[in-house]
Amino acid sequence: MILNHSSILRIPRECAIITTMKIRTLIAVAACKISRFALRKIGKGGTNAPGKVILKIYPQVLKVLARNVKTIVVTGTNGKTTTARMIEQSLQESGIRYFANKSGANMLSGIAAEFAMNSTLGGRCKYEYALIECDEAAFKTVSQYVSSQYIVVTNVFRDQLDRYGEITHTINSILIGIKNSPEAIVCINADCSLSVSMIDEITNEVIFYGVEEEIYKERVQEVSDAPYCIKCKTEYEYDYITYGHLGGFRCPNCGYHRPDTSVAVEKVLECTPDISVIQLRLKNNSYTAMINLPGGYNIYNAIAAAAAGVALGIADDVIVHALSSFEGGFGRMEKFTINGIDIRMILIKNPAGCNQVLNFLSNTEVPSLFVVALNDRYADGKDISWIWDVDFEKLTTIQDKLTEIWVTGIRADDMVLRFKYAGVPIEKLKVVKDYDILIQGMISQEAPVYMMPTYTAMLDIREKFSKNFGFKDFWE
Amino acid sequence: MNIKICHLYPDILNLYGDRGNIISMEKRLIWRGIEAEVSNISIGESFNYEDYDIFFIGGGQDFEQGVLLKDLQTGKAEQIKAAIEEEKTFLTICGGYQMLGNYYKTWDGQECEYIGALDFYTIGHKERMIGDYAFACDEADGGMIVVGFENHSGKTYLGQGLRPFGTVLSGNGNNGEDKTEGARYKNVFASYSHGALLPKNPRLCDHILKTALKRKYTDVSLEALEDTFEEDANSYMRERLLTNK
Repeated sequence: MILNHSSILRIPRECAIITTMKIRTLIAVAACKISRFALRKIGKGGTNAPGKVILKIYPQVLKVLARNVKTIVVTGTNGKTTTARMIEQSLQESGIRYFANKSGANMLSGIAAEFAMNSTLGGRCKYEYALIECDEAAFKTVSQYVSSQYIVVTNVFRDQLDRYGEITHTINSILIGIKNSPEAIVCINADCSLSVSMIDEITNEVIFYGVEEEIYKERVQEVSDAPYCIKCKTEYEYDYITYGHLGGFRCPNCGYHRPDTSVAVEKVLECTPDISVIQLRLKNNSYTAMINLPGGYNIYNAIAAAAAGVALGIADDVIVHALSSFEGGFGRMEKFTINGIDIRMILIKNPAGCNQVLNFLSNTEVPSLFVVALNDRYADGKDISWIWDVDFEKLTTIQDKLTEIWVTGIRADDMVLRFKYAGVPIEKLKVVKDYDILIQGMISQEAPVYMMPTYTAMLDIREKFSKNFGFKDFWE
Repeated sequence: MNIKICHLYPDILNLYGDRGNIISMEKRLIWRGIEAEVSNISIGESFNYEDYDIFFIGGGQDFEQGVLLKDLQTGKAEQIKAAIEEEKTFLTICGGYQMLGNYYKTWDGQECEYIGALDFYTIGHKERMIGDYAFACDEADGGMIVVGFENHSGKTYLGQGLRPFGTVLSGNGNNGEDKTEGARYKNVFASYSHGALLPKNPRLCDHILKTALKRKYTDVSLEALEDTFEEDANSYMRERLLTNK
């Protein structure tokens, strides 16, 4: 088709290809902008559909759009969104011009849409930097189009095995992504034996970050996702464990061990229900840093972001200040106050993340109402078996800290069963499938609410919040 | 009365919430005033099958399989075979199920010897069989409809002397071809079903517990429990899978 047209118009072939590329980019970007606009008009997020449209029109469009942008990719199993928000704060405070895929649409289509939305119709990006949260399984594909300058790997845990297969598949996807970006500086969690195993196969400059002592005095009982050495299958020894399989690992057989770090938490100074204070080492300098989100997993997110800051050459004081001033991602400990009731929303998606939420909840002071919303759509993970690997039994030891547990979502029946078998008294359990009744119930009682939804349940409930109580829509 | 449960390789075969089966068996015994004791046996730890009434083996990742096969050869395989022949009760899921068979052949032709306690084999495929599914148990096992979640790339084919655990009503089961799901032999219940399997299939859980109790105490009856949550979870998935089919 292309050649026919050009011969008719008598335009040299090469020139025609460039022109065609430009035209297709123009059409694709315009289609994306129009469909996003239309979807938002009718109150939808429009985070993925426009991306699908442009990739249909012009599959190579993302390559064109990402060409002259410096891209920071944040990938890994847990903590991507929060880490990206922390990095974003550093970028902002440094006066760097950037855009970010803030809505959490982190698959190929969502990322393509974000690039298009932030480009001119000619396909030129309006910003110098792109901060991209990328699904770990999608990274291998995304990296074929977007070559990044900075890659942050938060950690590797088992997650949604219905989509990703085994953990080793996740590692492979990230590895392919890094290999596709040989120029990138890569920030890797030194405490994660699964992540560190990648360094043998890459030539990139690496910045290791980690925590150098235990975080929690008391931890939930959890199974390790990596008890055996990934290289020689001998059981690891640990100097200390922060949570899950993270910590000072060492293989007694082959010697594979936690590497030295250039960004580290030297000490956890204080943990409250709202913040953590840490002694943070950036290369050779130590700082006291406040992280304005609670929980051990957010300490990891903070140092992942700090490592990215070091890679980007951002000044130390900006990095430290950003950790105390950033705004949490949507659904990540996000607070809604309705009728005087504080509702905190914490996304859950896999055993490791959920166990960390329980670690955090065990340390709250005021008795609270827990609400869990379990969906099993594609984005949530169709397999909900993982709820049986979470140490919900822990809840029976903190009964004085919970007034009741309500469950909702598509798989509410399975969720309530999990709590029953964890030993929570039946009279404390309630199944409320209708979101309107649920929300009405939450704001008609007295206790603060901790709501733990899976991804699509969070979107649905958030939509109710913004429709009925005027909160920001999730893409804002 | 008491029941001793042996959880084999709980730290390795722990991938898909299969521990929920242990929780379910334990609770449903305790709620009836029957003592339950769970022992974890893993790599490098030996056991005597006579000390236990129920054995449980869950599913895991391929990565750890090498560690496992080596360990089975240190005497555990013989213990498992003897326990099965002596009519001890077994519940094995996915990887734990496959392990009892003769061999596993990967899609690129590598053959992996398994313990051969039951006559069946498994062939690996590139495409995984993943999703919610349902099957009907044999009348001999109560004929209940079981719902669960399967996630396996191996296709299992049953040999002589085995009957399937059930007939597939929706989904794949053993191989997606012959409508069979799992395997039954003496007091072995082997299935591909995660979910976890037993919590939302309480009748099946009770049937397995009764099997073990009968072998130990000959005459037993289990009192009915309040199972509203359990039945709701079962019927929700049953309806989702089986209506409008």
